[in-house]
Amino acid sequence: MITEHDLTLPLTEAAVRAPRAGDVVYLTGEVFATAGLPTHDRLLGCLDGAESPPFNMAGGALFHLGSLNEDGDDGLPRIVYMNPTTSTRFDAHMPRLIPGLGLRATGGKGGLGADSVRAMAACGCVYLSFLGGGAPILTAAVRRVTGVGWPEMISHYRIVRLEVDRLGPLTVGIDAQGNSLYQQASDTARERRGALLDGLRA
Amino acid sequence: MPITDAMVSEATRTLFSRALRKVPEDTKAALARALETETNETARRTLGLQLESANLAEKLDCFVCSDSGVPTYFVKIGSRADLACDFKAAIRAGYETLVETIDPPLLKHVTNPLTLERSHLGKDIPLVTYDVESGADYVEMVCSPKALGSGRWAALELFTFPSLEQIETFILDVAIKAGAQHCPPVVMGVGIGGSFDHCAGMAKKQTLRPVGEANPDPTLADMEARLFRAVNGLGFGPMGTGGDTTVQAVHVDYACGHGFTPVAVCFNCWINRRTRVRMWGDGRMEWGE
Repeated sequence: MITEHDLTLPLTEAAVRAPRAGDVVYLTGEVFATAGLPTHDRLLGCLDGAESPPFNMAGGALFHLGSLNEDGDDGLPRIVYMNPTTSTRFDAHMPRLIPGLGLRATGGKGGLGADSVRAMAACGCVYLSFLGGGAPILTAAVRRVTGVGWPEMISHYRIVRLEVDRLGPLTVGIDAQGNSLYQQASDTARERRGALLDGLRA
Repeated sequence: MPITDAMVSEATRTLFSRALRKVPEDTKAALARALETETNETARRTLGLQLESANLAEKLDCFVCSDSGVPTYFVKIGSRADLACDFKAAIRAGYETLVETIDPPLLKHVTNPLTLERSHLGKDIPLVTYDVESGADYVEMVCSPKALGSGRWAALELFTFPSLEQIETFILDVAIKAGAQHCPPVVMGVGIGGSFDHCAGMAKKQTLRPVGEANPDPTLADMEARLFRAVNGLGFGPMGTGGDTTVQAVHVDYACGHGFTPVAVCFNCWINRRTRVRMWGDGRMEWGE
């Protein structure tokens, strides 16, 4: 049985401790999105004091979403399309960024590794799985762009702050109790490997 | 009247643009079939969402995915085709026009591997593979925009006089390593034998075979069916959050070679971008998937 949760940003620790891996979440409010590896390097630099981050993300959600953001005819930035990127590309960054930025939610596609799972359980943070190839559905939930951080970078490397209305459905891939659907799937595959190979030879 | 530069350029532009907006019908049918048999509730929801996204992109004429990938084309030139074109120049020109004119614009995914600088253009872009078709009076072009999500999990290993058991173990282990990462359910292409480069090409071309099209070689058809069951048995499921549907299809080809036997495996993500056109000297362009 899948439970659905409607959550509003900014997120409290209690709000993100409630959903369990496999539940479905819809998000309303402001979220942050970027798909840039250099952006994640730069955010780590912010934690080391190299510069200030463009936004205070405490209690917020930083998602691994690539977007084409550009100035509209009215001069205001808009999102033309957005879609998740592979989160494991940021496995080396997220264990420090989750506590360092005070994130309550992160996400993208493909999950994160064991160090991030531990950081999420310790701090109270969930990983939300977005549909890869879900650009039409995900883009439709964007109401407006409320800020663009590091605009000198190429479009999908910038950090965009978006106001979203029921962004989702997003699957809780890793909950704040240390349960990861990705780890479970990987463990299952390794357990089944021997029997599946026997089956191939039958 | 011959096949012209203008026709090849138009094919280059239109194939790429259509591939970004339209999930092939055979893939939509494969997802719908999986939806009927999938036992995991989250997986069923994800499959339903994938079909919804495919249909919405078609209806709204928008991109299914933000990663438009690197432009990759396969050109097959019929031995009886009437030609008056410079393929390399016409494809390059068509792609450059596409970059300037496509609506919505493309993100910069083309990457210089030495500097990590990103752009729309660069050395050897678009990536084009040429082949010939004996007796055909047409030119066929296939476009397969290749994104990072599924592209990075391809693998090739060289064996020496391997048993079938060793080959299939490698294939299953590549699927385990790719795990949840390549936006499943994917199309898995496998090449066995030949040389290093030929083997990789076979695997890639097998991802372009329509899902549901039977392999004419009964040995390979049997191998495909067994690998399909085995990879789906791993349990990664749609988007890797668990389930019975990790592959839409496993497609295998082989070539004879020496005793050193390469085995290559590569993937197309669930949207399985693939467009096709055949062109004749009388100006006809027959579009397909």
